[in-house]
Amino acid sequence: MESTEPIIFVVDDDQSVRDSLRRLLRSVGLAVQAFPSAQAFLSSPRADSPGCLVLDVRLPGPSGLDLQRELLIADRPLPIVFLTGHGDIPTSVKAMKAGAVEFLTKPFREQDLLDAIRQAIERDRADRRERQELADLRRRYDSLTPRERDVMGGVVAGRLNKQIAAEFGTSQATVKEQRGQVMLKMQADSLAELVRIATRLHVPTRGSGSA
Amino acid sequence: MAADVPVQERRPPVWLRWGVALLSVAVAAALTTGPGGERLFPEPPERFVHGVTLLYASAILSAWLGGIGPGLVAAVLAALVIDWFITPPLYSISLDFDFALRIAVFALSAVLVGSLGLRRQRMEDALRLSRHELEVKVEERTADLTRSNQQLHGEIAARRRAESTLREQAALLDLTHDSVFVRDEQGVILYWNRGAEELYGWTKAEALGSVAPARLQTVFPVPLEEIMAELTRTGRWEGEIVHTRHDGTPLTVASRWSFRRAAPGRPAAILETNNDITERKQAEDALHHARAELAHVSRVTTLGELAASIAHEINQPLAAIVADASACLNWLDADDSPIDQVREALAAVVSDGNRAAAVLTRIRAMLGRSSVARRRCQIGAIIADVLPLVRPELSRHGILLQTAVASDVPAVLVDRIQIQQVFINLLVNAADAMRDLPTERRRLSIRAAREALDDGAWAVVAVEDAGMGLGEVEPEHVFEAFYTTKPGGLGMGLSISRSIITSHGGRLWATANTAHGVTFHIALPASS
Repeated sequence: MESTEPIIFVVDDDQSVRDSLRRLLRSVGLAVQAFPSAQAFLSSPRADSPGCLVLDVRLPGPSGLDLQRELLIADRPLPIVFLTGHGDIPTSVKAMKAGAVEFLTKPFREQDLLDAIRQAIERDRADRRERQELADLRRRYDSLTPRERDVMGGVVAGRLNKQIAAEFGTSQATVKEQRGQVMLKMQADSLAELVRIATRLHVPTRGSGSA
Repeated sequence: MAADVPVQERRPPVWLRWGVALLSVAVAAALTTGPGGERLFPEPPERFVHGVTLLYASAILSAWLGGIGPGLVAAVLAALVIDWFITPPLYSISLDFDFALRIAVFALSAVLVGSLGLRRQRMEDALRLSRHELEVKVEERTADLTRSNQQLHGEIAARRRAESTLREQAALLDLTHDSVFVRDEQGVILYWNRGAEELYGWTKAEALGSVAPARLQTVFPVPLEEIMAELTRTGRWEGEIVHTRHDGTPLTVASRWSFRRAAPGRPAAILETNNDITERKQAEDALHHARAELAHVSRVTTLGELAASIAHEINQPLAAIVADASACLNWLDADDSPIDQVREALAAVVSDGNRAAAVLTRIRAMLGRSSVARRRCQIGAIIADVLPLVRPELSRHGILLQTAVASDVPAVLVDRIQIQQVFINLLVNAADAMRDLPTERRRLSIRAAREALDDGAWAVVAVEDAGMGLGEVEPEHVFEAFYTTKPGGLGMGLSISRSIITSHGGRLWATANTAHGVTFHIALPASS
């Protein structure tokens, strides 16, 4: 699966909390990078490896919730485990709605934190895999010629070679050949897989329902 | 006007009077002696008798018409004519006795008749005069009457004008939105405007003659005697009073009274102008209530924020301690424990433990306000400080407060503000504890007394409620921090109260009452 080691980013303004979290996570063999503020975290370069964010809600400057929003806007998704000094239901609801993995109240149990971190890393791995696959498919799709893309749109719309040939004013044999190219370039073993790929890529379908 | 007409001018003119005298004698003489006379009376004796009669008549006529003067002249002339023409010897004047007698009779008759005429004349004159005077008087009287008649008309017109002005003014009073009515000193309504009709629901006809305070079920803010005293002294009074409408709904009015003193022919009257301020009053009450709510909410919020900040301050080091300790356990579980890292983590645990303790110390110092000036105070004075602050809260919950401060309670050396806070805390707690009780049980008592304890005199105050009591809870337990029975309560009040009293060298404890509720005891050492 993933060869690269996950990294846990800790953002907490309280130094003793920050240090203790670093020690705790290292003690279970996790790589940790700790920051005292949202700005410090955002301005540091991030390695291309799976990971998650352990984030204090109350921070000087932009709060934990602000940072969560910022990451969503900047399209730098990272699963977040929130920590807070005292349970505050409205804040936790807001955080969870915005996609937080967990919301833990200090002092937290070690197991709860580690479980949440594991879950977050899993989610990040899945997200990254998803993004990777999508990027691959996109690359394959981009390698099609314009005519091949049109043919693909017709095929995934469930139209026959004859119909597609009639529409483009070519022979069925030509369409059949182009269709073979599409299957090859898109690395689809079957029509069903091609349709699945088209759905994930939101490929525009052509002439569905009309002859 | 009738002129004063002279009496003389009413008599015949002088020439007529004298002329008649001469002419009548001449005619009589002519008739007696002349050819005319011979034809009328052919026989001499008859002629002479008639001649004498005629002459006599002429003398009397002259006297009648001309008065005494012409009468006398006519009498003398007639006598001369008779002597000349009638008595023998004829055609001579014989001045004898007969002549004198004749003159005398003629003259006497003439004077008599003349004076009678004169008299009659005078009487006529007098009559005329008095008639004239009467006329003058009648005229004057008529003029008087006309004058007074005109005056009367003028008065009537003025009165009509006044009445119409009055009517207009009354109509103006009907235009005002204010309710205006007039009543006498007994409260009988004499005037009732449209505003009053609209405000109270009784028509003018229904209201007039009835007694205002009874009809309106007036509730005065102060005794009516005080109002009347001010009214008679200054002529005015203003205040808020409560009335009841025809339909039974109560209303609050801003009332202004003006007093008109009694005068001859005029009774005393009170003009009352009322403005309905019920809605304003209700709005004010609502505002007051909302403000109280807001104060309560903000107090709770402040305490909530304080609690949150305390929790955060404590939880930070606790979180670090738990994380570090967990890390140590993880390392110690490993085959090759990184001792240096374990040591580092344990050092952090120690420092975070100390940090948490420091936070608590800081909070206690903040809440306890240790650096304060202490002064000698009387416990009774401190209780007196506090009562005005808590009484609104107590009366809002219908709680009866009894205070008894013994005269020999010793003075104490305290921070007055802090001890006030303790009392307020205990009293408000007691009020809360009795909020849901039946009214008759909502009794709160404060007793202050002197007690001789082991090491001298103490001032001991007992605050006793009849509330829900402690139930199964140990009395000591209520003084622990964060112990609370109130929703939204922080559970700090009694804990802080105890630390305040303790810092004064005193004691604060609670005992359960035999019947209901709890008594809190504050003991403070007497200041030496």
